[in-house]
Amino acid sequence: MARQIRNIVIVGGGSAGWLTAGVLASEHRLASSRELSITLVESPDVRTLGVGEGTWPSMRDTLRRMGVSETAFVTECDASFKQASRFVGWVTGAPDDAYYHPFSLPQGFGEVNLVPAWAALDGERRFADVASFQPQLCERGRAPKQVTTPEFAAVANYAYHLDAVKFGQFLQQFCTRQLGVRHVLAHVNEIRSAENGDIAALMTDRAGLIEGDLFVDCTGFASMLLHGHYEVPYISTRDTLFCDTAVAVQVPYVADDSPIASHTISTAQEAGWIWDIGLPTRRGVGYVYSSAHTTDEAAEAILERYVRQTAGAGVAASMARRIPINPGYREVFWHRNCVAVGVSAGFIEPLEASALALIELSARMISDELPATRNLMDVVAQRFNRRFRHRWERIVDFLKLHYVLSRREDSDFWIENRSPGTVPARLRELLELWRFRPPSNRDFYEIEEIFPAASYQFVLYGMGFRPEVGEPKRLDDPQAAARCIQAVGELTQKYLAGLPSNRDLLEHVRVHGLRRV
Amino acid sequence: MANYQLLNNVDHKDLRIIIDRSAEFGDDVWFAATFPSEFRNLQRDYPIFFTKHPETGKFEAVAVFGFEDGENLFLGEHGWHAGYIPLNIMRMPFLIGFQEQTEAGETTREPVITVDMDSPRVNTERGEPVFLEHGGNSPYIEQISSILKVLQQAARSSQPFFGALEQLNLIESLVLDVKLDDGSENRLSGFYTINEDALRELEGDDLAMLNRRGYLEAVYMVIASMSNIPDLIAAKNKRNAAMAADG
Repeated sequence: MARQIRNIVIVGGGSAGWLTAGVLASEHRLASSRELSITLVESPDVRTLGVGEGTWPSMRDTLRRMGVSETAFVTECDASFKQASRFVGWVTGAPDDAYYHPFSLPQGFGEVNLVPAWAALDGERRFADVASFQPQLCERGRAPKQVTTPEFAAVANYAYHLDAVKFGQFLQQFCTRQLGVRHVLAHVNEIRSAENGDIAALMTDRAGLIEGDLFVDCTGFASMLLHGHYEVPYISTRDTLFCDTAVAVQVPYVADDSPIASHTISTAQEAGWIWDIGLPTRRGVGYVYSSAHTTDEAAEAILERYVRQTAGAGVAASMARRIPINPGYREVFWHRNCVAVGVSAGFIEPLEASALALIELSARMISDELPATRNLMDVVAQRFNRRFRHRWERIVDFLKLHYVLSRREDSDFWIENRSPGTVPARLRELLELWRFRPPSNRDFYEIEEIFPAASYQFVLYGMGFRPEVGEPKRLDDPQAAARCIQAVGELTQKYLAGLPSNRDLLEHVRVHGLRRV
Repeated sequence: MANYQLLNNVDHKDLRIIIDRSAEFGDDVWFAATFPSEFRNLQRDYPIFFTKHPETGKFEAVAVFGFEDGENLFLGEHGWHAGYIPLNIMRMPFLIGFQEQTEAGETTREPVITVDMDSPRVNTERGEPVFLEHGGNSPYIEQISSILKVLQQAARSSQPFFGALEQLNLIESLVLDVKLDDGSENRLSGFYTINEDALRELEGDDLAMLNRRGYLEAVYMVIASMSNIPDLIAAKNKRNAAMAADG
C-alpha cells in the first residue's frame, strides 16, 4: 500500500512557518485529528528576519479562517489598518508627484470602464482619485471601518501593517495552544535521506530524530532543505529588478497623538525607494536600493535625511539594520517531499507587500491539495511549481511596471530601469495592448492572481500612462461612467463623515475590542 | 437638550411629575435600553434585540416598540398598552448621576438622583409630587429611587453577559424583512439576536457556566421574545389601516 502523508514537519519559526502551520492545522482540523501530526522545528539560535510588515487584504480571510480574533491579532501584533500604497516621486520626482494604489476596486469595476472618462478629464486628476473614494480616506487619516463594524469586515477594503516578529510569536501561541501544532525548539544538525532520495528525517541537537512524510522549508534566506540539501538552483531577477539591499530603522512618533497613516508610503530615491509603514506604536522605515547604483554610506545618508524630514530633528531612530536581498526565486519550490514557503522560496523587494501574500497562497495550496499518499505528491508538486512559477513571474512583471513608466532622469538607476532589455517580454506585450484597452481580468487568468487587473489599472494610470481612446464600447458608456464618478464623490463624503481616524479606531480596538459579529 | 439637575428638596420642593404615557411627554421612542434581569418581564410584550452602542461598539440589549425612529406601537390614545413598561421608560425624567465626595482625604463617587428640568413631564401643578409637604420623600420618588438602584446594578451586569455570549459565539446579526399589508417592505437592520443553532450545540462546561451565572434563562427569554414580532407587525398594519381610513 502507498505510503500515507501523516506527519508534516515545518522547519523554521518565522511568519512563514507559523502561517503555514496555522493554515494546515485549522483546515485539516489537526486538534481533533487522529491521523495527522504537524511539528514545527525552530532553532533557538536563529533570529527571525522580521521583514514584510505590509499585507494584502487576503490576510483578513486567512486569519478569520484560522479562527483568530482580529482584536487579539491587532493588539498583540502591534498591527494597524492599511488601505493603500501611496507612491511619491515615482513619475517625475516633482514636488506634487504622488498617486495611490488603493485596495478598493475602481467604482463599477467589471460593469463600467472608467478609463476613457478619466482620460477625457483635464489631466489634473489622478486615476485613483477619480475612480475610488479610498485615496481621500487615506489623505484624511481615516480608518477603513467603524467601531461597530464586526471583526474582519470592512467599510473600505483593507489589509494590515504589522510587527512581523510579534506576528510570529502571536501565531506560535495560537498554533500551539488552539490548533494542536507541536513546537520543537532544536537546531537541525543533519538531514537524513531515504533510499528514494526523499528526506526521511531531521537529526536535531536536543530533540533527537524528527521523522516526517512532508517537509516544509521555512528557513528564510538559508533555504536549508530546498537549497542546502537539494541544491535547487536560484533564478535571479536582478536584471529586471535592480534593488538588492535594504537598510531599515524604527522611528518613534513625534507625539502620542500623531496620525497613523492607513497606507504604505513609498517614496522614490536616487537608487531605489523608501518604505514608510505606520504601526500603532512606531513607524517602520527602510530604504531599498541597488548596490550597483549607490553605496551603503550614501544610502544610509538618504534614509537619515528622510527620517529627519518626516519626523523632525529631535527624533532618534533605532540603529540601522542592513538586509541583503538576492532578488529572485527557486527554479522549483516543491521538490520530492520538500516544499519551500516564504523567503526560502524567493524574495523580491517589498514594493507591493507580496511576501506575506505569497506565504498565504502557498500554505493554502499545500493545504487544499495535501496529497493523500506519497505517489500523488509528485503530481501535486508539479501543479504547485507551475502555479508558483507563474505567480513569481507576475510579481516581477507588476513591480517592474512601477519602474518602466517612470520619466525620472536624475540617475542611472531610473534611466536603466526603462531600458527595453530589462523588461520581461510578457510585460512588454501587455503594455502594447494597454495602449488601446485597459488591463482586464482576461490578462490575468489564473485563479487567485496575486495582483488583480484593478491593481494594474491603478499603477498604470497612476504612473501617467495615457491610453489612446477610440470609439466608445458598451463598457465605456460615458453616462454610466459619469454616474460612477459621481458615486465616488458621494461615497467619499459619506465615509468621511462616518469613519473615525485610524489612530482612534486602533485605540478603540485596544480598549474595547471589536465584536465578532 | 436635556438639563439635568441634582434633585433636592429645597430647589425642587414643589416639583410634580406627569406620569401619563403619551408622545407629548416623550414616549414616542422606538426602543429602550434593557438588561438581562429585565428580560423575563419584557418577553411577554416586546421583542428583545441586541444592538451595538454607537460609541463603544459594545453590545447592549433593547426592548423594541416599533419599526422606525419615533414609532411606538404600544402607545395609544389611552396610554401605554402593555402589562409591563421597561424601567428605562419608567425612570423618566430621572437619571442616576454621580457626585464626588471627599471625606478624610478619600474621594468616593456617590450615586445621586438627577432630574431633567427640560422634560415636558416636569411642572409644579399636575402629576405626582416628588416631595411631601415638609420635605420628606413622596412614595413616587421612593419608587423612582428603587428603579434607579436596579438600573445602576444592571449597568454592571450587561457586559459580563455579552462577554460570555460572544465567547461562545451565541450572537448573530438579525436582518428582519417586514412586509406590510399595504405591500410596503421595510428592512430592519443593525440588530442582533441569539444564534439558536450555536445554542443547541452547547454542552458540558459551557452550558453549565451559562446556567450558573443565570445567563441561560436570559438567553431563552430573548428567544421567547421573538414571538412578539408578529404582534408588532400586526399593530403596525392596524395603525397604517387606521391612518389610511382617517386620511
